[in-house]
Amino acid sequence: MKNSWMKSNTFHYSEFSDLNRLVEEKRKKNLKISLCLPTLNEEKTIAKEIIIMKSELMTRYPLLDEIVIVDSGSTDKTREIAGSYGADVYEAEDILPNLEKFKGKGENLWKALYITKGDIIVYLDADIKNIHHRFVYALVGPLLLFDNIKYAKAFYDRPISIGKSKIRPTGGGRVTELVIRPLFSLFFPELTQILQPLSGEYAGFREVFEEIPFPIGYGVETSMILDIYDKWGLDVFAQVDLDRRIHRNQDTRALGKMAFAILLTFINRKRKLGMVDYKDDIFREMIQYNLVKDEYEPDIFKIEGHERPPIIEIPEYREKFNRSVS
Amino acid sequence: MDQYLDKLPDFVEKIKSIKEAIIANTVLIGQIPAPTFKEKRRTTVFMERLAEFQVDECSTDGYRNPIGIIRGTSETKPPIFVVAHLDTIFGRDVDHYYTIAENSITGPAIMDNSLGVGVLASLPEIFRKLDLRFESDIVLAGVIQSLGKGNLRGIRHLLKTWATPIRGAVCIEGAELGRLSYYADGMIRCEVDCNISTANGWEHKFKPNAILIVNEVINQILELRLPQKPRSRVIIGKTSGGFKHGMIAYDAMLGFEIQSKSDRMVKAIFNDIQDIVEGISHENEVELNLKTLSNIRASSLKYNNPLVKSSVKVMKKLDLEPVSEPSESELSIFLSRKIPSVTLGITRGDNYHLENATIEIEPIFKGIAQIIGVLLAIDSGVCDEK
Repeated sequence: MKNSWMKSNTFHYSEFSDLNRLVEEKRKKNLKISLCLPTLNEEKTIAKEIIIMKSELMTRYPLLDEIVIVDSGSTDKTREIAGSYGADVYEAEDILPNLEKFKGKGENLWKALYITKGDIIVYLDADIKNIHHRFVYALVGPLLLFDNIKYAKAFYDRPISIGKSKIRPTGGGRVTELVIRPLFSLFFPELTQILQPLSGEYAGFREVFEEIPFPIGYGVETSMILDIYDKWGLDVFAQVDLDRRIHRNQDTRALGKMAFAILLTFINRKRKLGMVDYKDDIFREMIQYNLVKDEYEPDIFKIEGHERPPIIEIPEYREKFNRSVS
Repeated sequence: MDQYLDKLPDFVEKIKSIKEAIIANTVLIGQIPAPTFKEKRRTTVFMERLAEFQVDECSTDGYRNPIGIIRGTSETKPPIFVVAHLDTIFGRDVDHYYTIAENSITGPAIMDNSLGVGVLASLPEIFRKLDLRFESDIVLAGVIQSLGKGNLRGIRHLLKTWATPIRGAVCIEGAELGRLSYYADGMIRCEVDCNISTANGWEHKFKPNAILIVNEVINQILELRLPQKPRSRVIIGKTSGGFKHGMIAYDAMLGFEIQSKSDRMVKAIFNDIQDIVEGISHENEVELNLKTLSNIRASSLKYNNPLVKSSVKVMKKLDLEPVSEPSESELSIFLSRKIPSVTLGITRGDNYHLENATIEIEPIFKGIAQIIGVLLAIDSGVCDEK
């Protein structure tokens, strides 16, 4: 496997810290940029993300045109707090209300395409404790400065040798190292160059996002990579080192469910691409066990595996953005 | 001369219109841990923010205090200092990530003194927003090594090496809004350490308990007769010691401050406590050491000093009721050098020195307007009157 992509398309955030240059490129290219934060009960972190982005990338440097919150029905004060700091707040179920209703991160990202105005959309998880405006400008930077890049993804550690012989591991999360990387190594070795495929921070051109389907749940990051890779190839990808990201840690059981959803997405994609010929149905239940008194009881987590089609196939979207299906 | 007073209420709303920048500065700087003597990372970020906000000069002095200068219109007027200490009482191992709610920010050291530092870094932008130009240069100094064993080394060095006269100064602290400090008590901050030998043998058969020894020190300090005039007190502030519930303690520590309006009285009380410590050490045959961590000399402006009177007017114009209290911070060093200065608080809050310290956002803008009012007063010449 060649790793030339990694050498040419991997960046460090400091390469994009000249914000005046980014603003100038944006102006020259006549682009609008939207930031979307999908939320579910994020009252502890949401205000900080909005304030820092608004101060640094809207007021001081006009890089962002809007900050949009798409919420999955938070029961805490996420929506009130976000609104009080000037973000545009939507409940996912109120967007395109005629469609069947689903709940999940992928659903929020997909619906954000309908309500945002940007030519470039930046998606950030809303639970980043050490939020800094580099999380946005470093993802937008490659899209503005390199004409071939259409999608930029974050990673948070440097897999760079220290001295001549010492190597540090990439610091990918547990699901990345135990599920995604083995799968990519088996089926798409080229994609192993993407160091943290599950990172929740990425940006891309609308013309890319509107052409790909979105699983409504955990599998959205995996499917996005596979679909963009299939349609446009690896050269449209960039990955950017954002230094550190501090967020909530999840327990092993929750990660098990995440891994299950990702595997399901992966297998579905492989079938669609004609890469596997698997005759039997796939079961859609993740079964974990709890010890209750002296009995082991199954704890069943069901994943329907719903997926939104490319949003360009939705008539309301085509009408709003004056698009036709390619 | 007091024309600026009428503008102050309008300033509050204008300052509020850039609240995101003020909060962003507070959070981006405040989330960098900066225990005393380890302020380097926070210093770097503070400098970056000052440079970003386009001060005319940005550098560090010989002691690595970061300083930004906004040039004034006059070439002859001495500069005005605005100072906030960068260091905090929290170690690097404490989670410094702040939580922002609708009207509050919570996190370690937000009150002491991350908000002060965030506001300091925002002043260039605030001046632009209010379209303010000063005659004097405005020197924005984030000073290091202020707290505890730092003993105000940063500000001492800065003023010692500053070549030209200084017109006046405002020291800013996160809390409490309404505070007006214009005098500093004399103070000696001390620690008493008691260590009992852990060696065994017949000569160590009856070991004293270090906690009880320190307790005896406390009892004898409390028996000291302190004068009401000059106002003097000993504050027992910290104690620690021991190993586990079922063992006598081999070590114990007591931290306290002697404060008085009179330096002579501070010294006299210190001598009394030294006698107490030596006596107990001798009587109990234990190792008992009295260490001085820091000290400051008593200094003050009078209540009828023009700077104090102007500060009161500024606060009243903003419907703030001034509360006078002594300050053991940077103010004392300015005053000891005969530089007219006051310390002001920016907002209200709870849990001052706890990890979950919380400040209110809304009063911040009035707190900043008050700082600007006092700077305008100094710039109009109130400190120049002899």
